[in-house]
Amino acid sequence: MRIGLACPYTWDVPGGVQAHVRDLAEVLIAAGHEVSVITPADDSDALPPYAVDAGRALPVPYNGSVARLLMGPVSAARVRRWLREHGFDVLHVHEPTAPSVGLLACMLADGPIVGTFHTANPRSKILTAAQGALQPSLEKLRARIAVSEAARRTIVEHLGTSAVLIPNGVSVAAFAGARPLPGYEVPPAAKGGPGRHTVCFLGRIDEPRKGLDVLLAALPDLARRVPDVRVLVAGPGDAAAVRSRLDPRLRGRVELLGLVSEEDKARVFASGDVYCAPNTGQESFGIVLLEAMAAGTPVMASDIDAFRRVLDDGRAGRLFEAGEPARLAAGLADLLLDEAARAELAASGKALVASYDWPVIAEEIVDIYRLVSAGAGPVSLASSGADG
Amino acid sequence: MTAVVVVVAIVVAVATYLTWLARRLDRLGVRVDAARGGLVAQLGARAEAAAALGASRGLVQLAAAAERSLAGHAAPRAGAPLDTAVEETENELSRALRAPEVATAGQGAPALLHAVDSASAKVALARQLHNDAVRDLRALRGRRPVRLLRLSGRRPLPAYFEIDDALPARVERRETGGPGPGAPVPSAPAGAGAGPPLGQEVRDRVPGPAGAPDDMPDVLPKTGS
Repeated sequence: MRIGLACPYTWDVPGGVQAHVRDLAEVLIAAGHEVSVITPADDSDALPPYAVDAGRALPVPYNGSVARLLMGPVSAARVRRWLREHGFDVLHVHEPTAPSVGLLACMLADGPIVGTFHTANPRSKILTAAQGALQPSLEKLRARIAVSEAARRTIVEHLGTSAVLIPNGVSVAAFAGARPLPGYEVPPAAKGGPGRHTVCFLGRIDEPRKGLDVLLAALPDLARRVPDVRVLVAGPGDAAAVRSRLDPRLRGRVELLGLVSEEDKARVFASGDVYCAPNTGQESFGIVLLEAMAAGTPVMASDIDAFRRVLDDGRAGRLFEAGEPARLAAGLADLLLDEAARAELAASGKALVASYDWPVIAEEIVDIYRLVSAGAGPVSLASSGADG
Repeated sequence: MTAVVVVVAIVVAVATYLTWLARRLDRLGVRVDAARGGLVAQLGARAEAAAALGASRGLVQLAAAAERSLAGHAAPRAGAPLDTAVEETENELSRALRAPEVATAGQGAPALLHAVDSASAKVALARQLHNDAVRDLRALRGRRPVRLLRLSGRRPLPAYFEIDDALPARVERRETGGPGPGAPVPSAPAGAGAGPPLGQEVRDRVPGPAGAPDDMPDVLPKTGS
């Protein structure tokens, strides 16, 4: 199939939507499809061969953070040319509610169009206000996909339409079989016997909602129960500030790695006996939990809605009451001291994550492509470019 | 002179607006037709898969329901509406597919059973896309200028297609309580699910026109407005 993907956010800036579009494009190409991505980019030379530059995006304050958006005559001309040159069987636009390339492509094209909604925003006044203006474009979408239950609820409530739930994928192969970081290898002979127990954490260290403070507050109690415990922390933020808040007697147990690369992320999971996700809210989907499961590391996570869903209500990972260090310490100690329970969780995690593996997810998306493009002609330019 | 210019400007603006509305209506009409075609095709695929399983395992009731379903597709394929008669036949097939003996007998033909379950999931998907398209078209057809000026001519208002397409309990879902057709987990043991069908739960959670008054274009409650 000839598939066009429209990505709304600057390709060179790390982000969930960009990663989703990149992974999807690469899996589709590997499956033999012809794929082209159009995206804003800061450096068009750094784009992969399958991507086309739509221009530079403008930073705009939106929704409490800075969104980099793109809508203008130059990018409209580039999107139009991209559509004309490729003659796609299906056009897949991402985040079609954001004023960027996704919406632009949707406005300019006609035919089999699929849209994926990523954002979960329960009280977006902007989205509600914009519904009337967006409707002419959104009604062109022959299928709507939401990547999480929260994202689905957002579009049901704000745009008055339904969506098919297809979650983000995980590249299981990239996480399975990673080597632990130096200093965290456990010789097979020592496994199960007395050894050092490691809890790993991933995420911004100075973002309260990621919950590192909950984990560090649980550490004194945890260290009493598991005397050889240590904590491996990977993620950007002010390390000195975190260290200064720690009890000096516990500092030796905590290693702060700072920001790590994708490959090292897999190795961080491989270094932990347990992966801990103490987030206190604001997560719409627990992709990082799935990555830990793909690496074969048992998960201990707070019981926020998104995590409870991903962990199948505690069957694929342990849950504790969000924001309660005492519960976390007890739960981690139980898990660290119970080799059999960890092995069991690792196995159920592996089984669960298999249904989120990118090739499986991409196949579900291709099913939708087939459904909307069967009998329809290729994607064409809308009869009058300017309107919706 | 200025009066003429103003009048001409107003006429041009109104004409542009109406042309734009008419084009949206056309486009939605194309989308509804395409979705309807996709739905009829998926219903056909499900009935054929069910017939194959019924014939291979000697499931008389399933085979009969599949035959009735296939016979009922001839008219919609030729363009007749997907009416309540079609809905009833398809409901019968859904029920027949959920019968416990199908799961039991299907263990002897896992490939055929998997084909049926995957075709059933696609029916649910195609039905959702169809009803979404119908909802968008009905919403636009309900707008005042479209109604007063009869912009959609004599074309009949498309109807939602309502059937019970809840998947058999043997088809595992990825997220607990997640909506949508879900994906059959490849390693799911056939016939493992012994619980009741997920019908009611799915119906409650899938947003859609189920139970909405027929003449209401805006079928979903708007919250936060």
